[in-house]
Amino acid sequence: MIIMKKNDPTLGEKTKIIFMKIPTKAYIVITILIAILYPLLIMYGTAGQLWLRLAVRTEILVLLALGLNLIIGDTGLLNLGYAAFFAVGAYLTAIFASPRFGFDLPFWILFLASGVTAGFFGFLVGLPTLKLRGDYLAIVTLALGESTRLTLNNWDYLTNGPGGIPGIYHPSFFGYPIDSYVKFYYLTLIIILISIVVLNNLKNSKLGRSLNAMRENEIAAECMGIDTTKAKILSFVISSVFAGLAGSIFASFQTFINPTNFVFMISTMIVCMVVLGGMGSIPGVIVGAIVLDTLPEIIRQTFSVWLPSVFGSDFYANWPHILKDLFINFDRYRMLFFGILIVLVILLKPEGLIPNKRRQKELRETDPREISESEKTLFDVEEGKMDVKV
Amino acid sequence: MKILRVENLTKRFGGLYAVNNLSFSLKKGEILSIIGPNGSGKTTLFNLITGIYPPTEGKIFLKDDDITGLRPDKIAHKGIKRTFQTLRVFPNMTILENVLVGMHPIIEENIFNSIFHPPIMKRQQKEATEKAISILSFFGTRLTGTRLHHPANSLSYANRRRLEICRALASDPKVLLLDEPAAGMNPKESLEIMDQIKQIRDKGYSIILIEHDMKVVKGASNRVIALDYGEKIAEGTPKEVSEHPRVIEAYLGKKVAKNA
Amino acid sequence: MSVTSFLNLTVNGITVGMIYALIALGYTMVYGILEFINFAHGEVFTIGGYFGAIFLTWIIIQPGMPFVLKITLIILAFLFSIIATSLLGETVYLIAYKPLVGKSSRIGPLLSAIGVSIVLQNLILLIFGTTPITMPVEAIPRGFFIIGDAYIRHIGLIIIGITCISMFILSLYVKKSRMGQAMRATSQDIEAAEMMGINTNRIISITFIIGSALAAVAGILVCMYYGTLKFNIGFLYGLKAFTACVVGGIGSIPGAFIGSLFIGLIENYSIGLKFNLLGIFVALVFLLGTYYQFYLLPKKAKAGIKFIAPLFSKREEEKGSLVTTEKKTKKDLMSMEEKEMAKKAYYFGPLLIFFNFKKKNPSSFVAFHVRQSIKISFFNLFVFITMILMLFIFPNFQISSQWKDVVTYLMLILILIVKPSGLLGENIPEKV
Repeated sequence: MIIMKKNDPTLGEKTKIIFMKIPTKAYIVITILIAILYPLLIMYGTAGQLWLRLAVRTEILVLLALGLNLIIGDTGLLNLGYAAFFAVGAYLTAIFASPRFGFDLPFWILFLASGVTAGFFGFLVGLPTLKLRGDYLAIVTLALGESTRLTLNNWDYLTNGPGGIPGIYHPSFFGYPIDSYVKFYYLTLIIILISIVVLNNLKNSKLGRSLNAMRENEIAAECMGIDTTKAKILSFVISSVFAGLAGSIFASFQTFINPTNFVFMISTMIVCMVVLGGMGSIPGVIVGAIVLDTLPEIIRQTFSVWLPSVFGSDFYANWPHILKDLFINFDRYRMLFFGILIVLVILLKPEGLIPNKRRQKELRETDPREISESEKTLFDVEEGKMDVKV
Repeated sequence: MKILRVENLTKRFGGLYAVNNLSFSLKKGEILSIIGPNGSGKTTLFNLITGIYPPTEGKIFLKDDDITGLRPDKIAHKGIKRTFQTLRVFPNMTILENVLVGMHPIIEENIFNSIFHPPIMKRQQKEATEKAISILSFFGTRLTGTRLHHPANSLSYANRRRLEICRALASDPKVLLLDEPAAGMNPKESLEIMDQIKQIRDKGYSIILIEHDMKVVKGASNRVIALDYGEKIAEGTPKEVSEHPRVIEAYLGKKVAKNA
Repeated sequence: MSVTSFLNLTVNGITVGMIYALIALGYTMVYGILEFINFAHGEVFTIGGYFGAIFLTWIIIQPGMPFVLKITLIILAFLFSIIATSLLGETVYLIAYKPLVGKSSRIGPLLSAIGVSIVLQNLILLIFGTTPITMPVEAIPRGFFIIGDAYIRHIGLIIIGITCISMFILSLYVKKSRMGQAMRATSQDIEAAEMMGINTNRIISITFIIGSALAAVAGILVCMYYGTLKFNIGFLYGLKAFTACVVGGIGSIPGAFIGSLFIGLIENYSIGLKFNLLGIFVALVFLLGTYYQFYLLPKKAKAGIKFIAPLFSKREEEKGSLVTTEKKTKKDLMSMEEKEMAKKAYYFGPLLIFFNFKKKNPSSFVAFHVRQSIKISFFNLFVFITMILMLFIFPNFQISSQWKDVVTYLMLILILIVKPSGLLGENIPEKV
């Protein structure tokens, strides 16, 4: 801070300082308030309904991203088949709450069962695979994701194949039906808030610390008494549970699911959200999911609806074809955009939008075991001073 | 009373003997130093005792408990903790968290508690934090105070070594293995760490020490074992071992030894 | 199940396996040096195929063209695709991987590779659309043999030929040339190689170029074999090729070849054959893998003798022996027992050494290698036995073609889980 006073801070630094002075709790309160008030702000008109529907989808993706973050961010392993666990939850709910087999179980039972089943699936997969090298795990989960989707596609008796399962019942709690976008929005919001509390608790617990320790130095972690295989499996299972829960909400919200909802693209999209937001940081992941899910929609709306309505329909007349196509049909370019984003983020800002302070250095530094020369001398000087005082 | 017993321990890598038919024992409350030229199998010995490598032959006993071939985490739970020659602190975790990870074997916490944090756990965590701070304050103000919540990679080499010792001490181990604790420290600091190791011993811990700095070895240890090519070439008090002809030969070469 | 359709399946299996081998080399070489999975390699393969097909469509191969001209054009297409794809592979390395090499985070390069893979796949999709690109009919050799009912296409044999030749050249290059030597040194220890004055950056670049070039060849060959190529084909091919590397033992070039052959054959057999024949095939392969372990043994043991010689001499010196090291030959340095063992291992082959091991020779260092080999081959024997048991349990079970892809994926998962060390043992130096 002494250095700060000597040189006048630039405007950017000033704003940074102002933002840093706001306590974390204020941010949390503001975010929750905005989240609660959001439906009221856009309740008017059909456009409002559209945005609300989008918001529920975003919430489900936030839940998925939070779960995947546990594996990628905290444990440092790559799961590329996350959509498979999502699918398990969704199909379980769909089968037991739709006219397909005539079942109509209460939602909260199915919700929990979806989580448990996805967790068990994760356990079965994780038990043999987590002993492998980290990068083999990526390949195994990749193959798993695809084979799960194909199985859903082929197993006509259970899943009705590519036709999917229509007519999934909306959930209801003790006679109170959750049947509108607003109600779904709040239901999912509550689940997300609970998840955040749970994940935050996990971070500050023995398990959370052992996951971080393992990621930073596996051998040292083992010598400190951490059963690495067990910890890895636990984190894999918990992360799968989140996917199952999200899947359950997804199925009852959409009322119709088919295997195309669970393609490889979904898995990579969630990975992208985690990477963009900041691996290992809960607020980062939430922001990442919101940005990546709403941005394409905003671009599409802006360029195909708002701009032409403001500037007239011949607004694009002089634009080059590719640029016009890019903005109007942004959906086609979405995956390309995601791919470029992953590479750019990893290369330029590997800690993500809202970095987890712990991981920041790990991703930047060349080798954690070696301190850079400047840092070393800095602290040696400090040591020297301390010795003089003593 | 013998707390750690190593019998006929052998480790081969391919055809190379890293540790060859080595037997020794550690008494309770003593400091046993292991010396030897580079590549004489000292660190491999530590890796064998802590279970990172399984031994090719031989047995290791903690008291009367056979711990040969157990996984490192099981061995840590039994009460053998170590530090590393190539520093292996968890660089992006705070100093406090590093020590809390070290406390792993003595913190009892099930998955339910981890997720829901009931009040009982908050008390537990508070106790653990207090204990961690009291361990860290063994090294004065170097690791405590505001530094407590700094990431470990902000520390200097010497302080990382101190942090590793704290981390190993955190779970009250029966045997403490220190791999070159004074490496990278200036003479004044190494004398200080020598005293501190003695203090740790006086608290009742049994210590095996690998060290190159002969001053530290002579000053701190009760007994010394010299290794060369994985074999024990001398054992005894620091003075005896440092005057043993084979030790001089191993360090300085045959010709010098003859001339001397 | 007739013999002829079995022949058909075998030839198809070998052909497909050869294509996997060409792709697998790129994976295994990069993994050997950088220890990361180049996810984008599957897409590089697809793009290679697209380049070839575009070139041939673009120069318009005419039906009436003389044979020699046609061949020249096809070779030109290969060259064009190889150069363009190599450049692409090198660019990808420079942009997306090079800045990350040597950083502590292991997940970073992996994520970057996935990003590149998505970008490349979507670029193909956006430029060429979802309709597959077709190879001009005139560019495809369309002859075939008929043996019984079996129908063997010339192109299949050409693929086998080209792959075998390029494999041979590549192994020769890696083994004999200076560059190859540097490459092997780099894959052993990248930092040590750098200190020895090897330009590791250049080595890595060359590795990427060779891998991409081979992938380009594979791409064109696939396009010729099936006539078309789809934008997302690289995903599946890449996955299979990577699994082939793992089966053969990642990091080793012959391993990639054998693993690919295995994957290609088993993929064809698993759909085309009833379970009993499939079982016999799998069992045989794993039995062969076991035998190969023992076959390698004498060589390993010999290396061990060389390696251990100075140690033995040291010990004798200490005991007060007056004989100096220089005068002793390596053979003299071994005890009689060990000499016998090594001799037997070398001359009498795998079986003898196995029985000798059973008699327990604890002091012999040869026994160490036997133990390693038995460890590796233990699983092979296990698969052999389970497969034989399966024959008796489900003799007439056959998988319907609808489940083909699922079976392939599950097989890949199973192989990666149970056999991460590979049939021939992996060739990654341990970095502790």
